[in-house]
Amino acid sequence: MRQGEMAAVIDLNEDVHTLLPLTEHRPIGTLPFAGRYRLIDFPLSAITAADIHSVGLFMPESERSVQDHIRSGAAWNLDLIQGGVFLFPYVATRDYQNDDLRARYYENYTQFLRGSGSKYTVVMGAKNVANVNLNAILNYHKAGDNRITTVYKKLPLDRIRPTDWTLALSEQGTASAIVQAKERHDDQGKNEIPSFMDIYLLATTDLIDLLDDAAQSHVFRRLPELLRDYVLANNANAFEYTGYLARIDSIQRYYDSNLQMLDDASFQSLLLSSVPILTKSKNEVPSFFAKDATVVNSLLGTGTYIEGTVQDSVVFRNVVIHHDALVDHAVVMQGSKISTGSTVKYAILDKGVVIGPNLTIVGKPDKPIVLRKNQTVFRESEVEGSAHA
Amino acid sequence: MSTEMLGMILAGGQGTRLGKLTKNTAKPSVPFGGRYRIIDFTLSNLSNSGVNTVGVITQYQPLELNRHVQNGASWGLNERGAGVTILQPYASSEGEKFFEGTAHAIYQNMAYIDSYNPQYVLILSGDHIYKMDYERMLAFHKAKKATLTVAVMPVSLEEATRFGIMNTDDTDRIIAFEEKPEKPKSDLASMGIYIFDWAPLKKYLTDSYSTDGKMEDFGKDVIPAYLAHNEPTFAYAFHGYWKDVGTIQSLWEANMEFLSPNNPLNITNRNWRIYSQTEALPPMFFTKSAKVQRSMVTDGSYVAGTVEHSILSQNVKVGEGSTITDSMIMPNAVIGRNVTIDHAIVGEDAVVGDNGEVIGKPDDIAVIGYGEVVGRKEKA
Repeated sequence: MRQGEMAAVIDLNEDVHTLLPLTEHRPIGTLPFAGRYRLIDFPLSAITAADIHSVGLFMPESERSVQDHIRSGAAWNLDLIQGGVFLFPYVATRDYQNDDLRARYYENYTQFLRGSGSKYTVVMGAKNVANVNLNAILNYHKAGDNRITTVYKKLPLDRIRPTDWTLALSEQGTASAIVQAKERHDDQGKNEIPSFMDIYLLATTDLIDLLDDAAQSHVFRRLPELLRDYVLANNANAFEYTGYLARIDSIQRYYDSNLQMLDDASFQSLLLSSVPILTKSKNEVPSFFAKDATVVNSLLGTGTYIEGTVQDSVVFRNVVIHHDALVDHAVVMQGSKISTGSTVKYAILDKGVVIGPNLTIVGKPDKPIVLRKNQTVFRESEVEGSAHA
Repeated sequence: MSTEMLGMILAGGQGTRLGKLTKNTAKPSVPFGGRYRIIDFTLSNLSNSGVNTVGVITQYQPLELNRHVQNGASWGLNERGAGVTILQPYASSEGEKFFEGTAHAIYQNMAYIDSYNPQYVLILSGDHIYKMDYERMLAFHKAKKATLTVAVMPVSLEEATRFGIMNTDDTDRIIAFEEKPEKPKSDLASMGIYIFDWAPLKKYLTDSYSTDGKMEDFGKDVIPAYLAHNEPTFAYAFHGYWKDVGTIQSLWEANMEFLSPNNPLNITNRNWRIYSQTEALPPMFFTKSAKVQRSMVTDGSYVAGTVEHSILSQNVKVGEGSTITDSMIMPNAVIGRNVTIDHAIVGEDAVVGDNGEVIGKPDDIAVIGYGEVVGRKEKA
């Protein structure tokens, strides 16, 4: 089997504190999305569609959920006789006084990159949900003048927050720096800003050099910082992505993006576009709708059992919604159960939440209530406490 | 290497009574219950019973079936040293080995069976909907010191005329067998599930084909020969849901029964799961105009119309203003706008155009074939 022209690095060490409590025991990469997927399915599917054979997954601190989901990589056709998915354990990078750990952090990357034998490497995260064609980015890179290529999407100002990473673009369309939105100037009169999608593409040898140099330094810098510095020092080609993009870095954005999948155009653009989105499938039974069930404007996973009403919501597999229960503008993850007569509105229910009978749990559109994994609620007062904790 | 009990699934029949639905595919690969194919029940039973070496004998239109079964990994049957082998007719120095009947198909695949040196061979059909623990049947077979055990279930006397009927003594030993009797003497119908001691079966088949060559069929030839030779032949009674889905009517009925939350098949039982080949499809999408009740829907489906007491398989699209009632829609079918479908089976990849009507009756189910395109106001 020939080796791929491109290798991929997925860095799952993404900042989770703005997504607590959903990220208490999982990284952003394994957050459930759109009734069926995990966020990491999107980069992995892009990788498969681009015929990439070597993928390095750099594990976050809570790596169990990643291992559970990835297994052999078979769901993404990555259980290959040569190449495949390589999982690298979490290295306690905060302890950067320790020379050995620091060296190991860089070595994990360089060892994978040398072994891949690929001429180019794409580096991605998992928090930008998109349907990207990596081969188009590779072709753009080859045609460009710079040693590194970055990917962005133009977003209207009202969808940008001060801490979002953006590209400083020159008149010629190259990126001179990656800066947070609050550090931008010269944006007067513009109503769109190039939002950076955490995707870099560069020659594998350049990436190895960058990591080897960093290993010699006494100042610890993680890969994303090294790459940002590299863009600042060298300028970058800037590839414009025009499809659907959701940036999952806060509870509100997570909630809004899930519900945005109820918009036909967004659904089609992300899930029925050029890259088929692959995920681990379970042998789940079909979903069952009882005599008085009502399901409108909603996404549903398999194995759900609906007796009540679901509207404007995203419901994952194996959820049970009993008689006279109402699920409205909610994201309900797998295995949750809503008992007879209860209402759940403007809320996110993590996996395995149980809502007792005749309860009313209502958040706000701009501040959804979040119930933790396996939380059981039998009194409304329990929820108020946890929602504002 | 030796396997205690080898499974052999007879999946080569044409299934002519399923009409259009089996024109280009074998009966065991016909979709069932939203996300299954008929053979999934037998393959899952094997996996759940711990029988992990299985030959699937195919002959009629095997392409879709072979693609579905592959190496058995979807049912966890791909263990090292075991696994699923697709057995198709082949040519040899003695001539072509097409299968003339159920027993003949086993005879033609003796080399495959011998390669595992099994003590017992479990013979199954690939076209029944049921859940059964074959290990318990084997325990019965051993306890009775049988050389042949036939799984049976009680049926009504009217139905009995369609089956092979066993008469047993009070030790469950079979004393007489009648194939489709006009006046049945018993209500124990053969389910087409047999456990044989392999050595004697092999001898019967080999002797027969080296002389007069009559042992083509288990019901017609082998069981009568066993009884004539006083072989210890026993009936193993099964009490559970079992459905032969060999006709359009019974296929439709079984699907409708599958919709009942009280169906004894208990599909949601996680201790006896039915597995199938799974595909990563988008979640189900229900629009503002969707109305779905007493129904099952499977992933990849898009529903803008009304679905009442029906099954939608994977990737089915139902347009706005359409109504589907008491029907089974197979994978990838596209139902346009303002369509009426009632008491019907719509085949895989079929298209029912806007304003189309497909209307059957409870005793005369309408059928749209695989890939068939039905336009406006056409009767099926």
